[in-house]
Amino acid sequence: MAYAQPHPRLSVVSNSSHSSIDHLSPTTSSTRFSLPAVPTPQAVAKPAANRPNIYDRPLNKTRNAEVSASAFAFLFSEIVQYTQKRVSGINDLERQLNTLGYRIGTRVLELMVWRSEGSSKTPKRELKLLSVLMLIHTQVWKAVFGKAADAIEQSVENADEYMIIDNDPAIERHISVPKDMSQLSCSSFTAGIVEAVLDGLTFPARVTAHNTPITQFPNRTTILIKLEKSVLEREELLKK
Amino acid sequence: MSHHLFLLSPSDTPLYSLTHQSTKPVPTVTSPLASNLPTWSTSAFAGTLTALSGASSATQTTSGGAVRVGGGQDRHVIQMIANAGLDVIEDVMRKENTMYLKSVDKFNEWTVSAFITPGNMKFVLLHEGKNDEGIRAFLMEVWELYVKTMVNPFHTAHTAIRSGVFDSRVRGSARKYL
Repeated sequence: MAYAQPHPRLSVVSNSSHSSIDHLSPTTSSTRFSLPAVPTPQAVAKPAANRPNIYDRPLNKTRNAEVSASAFAFLFSEIVQYTQKRVSGINDLERQLNTLGYRIGTRVLELMVWRSEGSSKTPKRELKLLSVLMLIHTQVWKAVFGKAADAIEQSVENADEYMIIDNDPAIERHISVPKDMSQLSCSSFTAGIVEAVLDGLTFPARVTAHNTPITQFPNRTTILIKLEKSVLEREELLKK
Repeated sequence: MSHHLFLLSPSDTPLYSLTHQSTKPVPTVTSPLASNLPTWSTSAFAGTLTALSGASSATQTTSGGAVRVGGGQDRHVIQMIANAGLDVIEDVMRKENTMYLKSVDKFNEWTVSAFITPGNMKFVLLHEGKNDEGIRAFLMEVWELYVKTMVNPFHTAHTAIRSGVFDSRVRGSARKYL
């Protein structure tokens, strides 16, 4: 039932403004001398009518909508500052950012696939690890950052490790990490998104972010995916 | 003819369930009991099932005198069939790359169809009779409604869906397609 109500903060704002208009306006004298606290049914219904229910909104409306980069940079900087005040150490901070990203990732996955497959007669799911990794490299990156990631590689040493490389991650463009925190990669947020997508598609993995600067791209970041054993075993079985 | 829909989270927590009585006429499927029963139910679980159905009011005795198990509309029997179907669903979803898995399991008159969303949510539908196209369209609409629910920041993977609007929308498309 919570969805039927408008956003609590908005409803407070609009209700109070509505009742204050009631008090000031000479035409509505009915409430003038009575108790003002009780909102009339119309006053409650009004904001609901202005603001459509989430089930009334088409999901494709914001498909090509873009978010202002400066607004996002500001929001993300606040997120990092807020988180930093509540953690002890870099590892903890990265874990928190990862958790926040995870919440985004579950939604990105479902919405993104709905937008591409929702109108199809036989919507498909990805079953193969490689196609899932390609999906993350291109589709997810496009949905979240507006462009595909720059590279995807398999680790030479470990068969269960894959790396997605972004030469200039959008979320770090306006972040300069202090020297004493040089290990910190704010792309842990992105790692969380990737982890959620992999989890959702039943390819559980541990995903971390690392700074791997090179001379042309000082911001270059590697998202390291370490897949769980069960995933690789299943891949083996599927090959047969 | 009735339909039972369950929305299960990736950790198999039921988030929403719906029972829908269809008004549309159905071509009745009259197949003998024996052929409808999966093989395992006659062996390992038969005792449990008889006991289960014995407790329910809707146990029907067929003309042959055999007890028809699970044939009632009892909630716990329905839930058990839906849960039992999960095993088959999880097997099939490893091999099939479609989201809509039609008629994955059968139990007496019930057919189990499922829909797996990319986020691994499972929509399990118990139905009688055959209506592939209608069920597909219904489940697609449920998916859209579910996506709208889950992009809400206040929804988590384990919160039950209690929205009245969601409920009425699902009922609406059930009336339309089932």
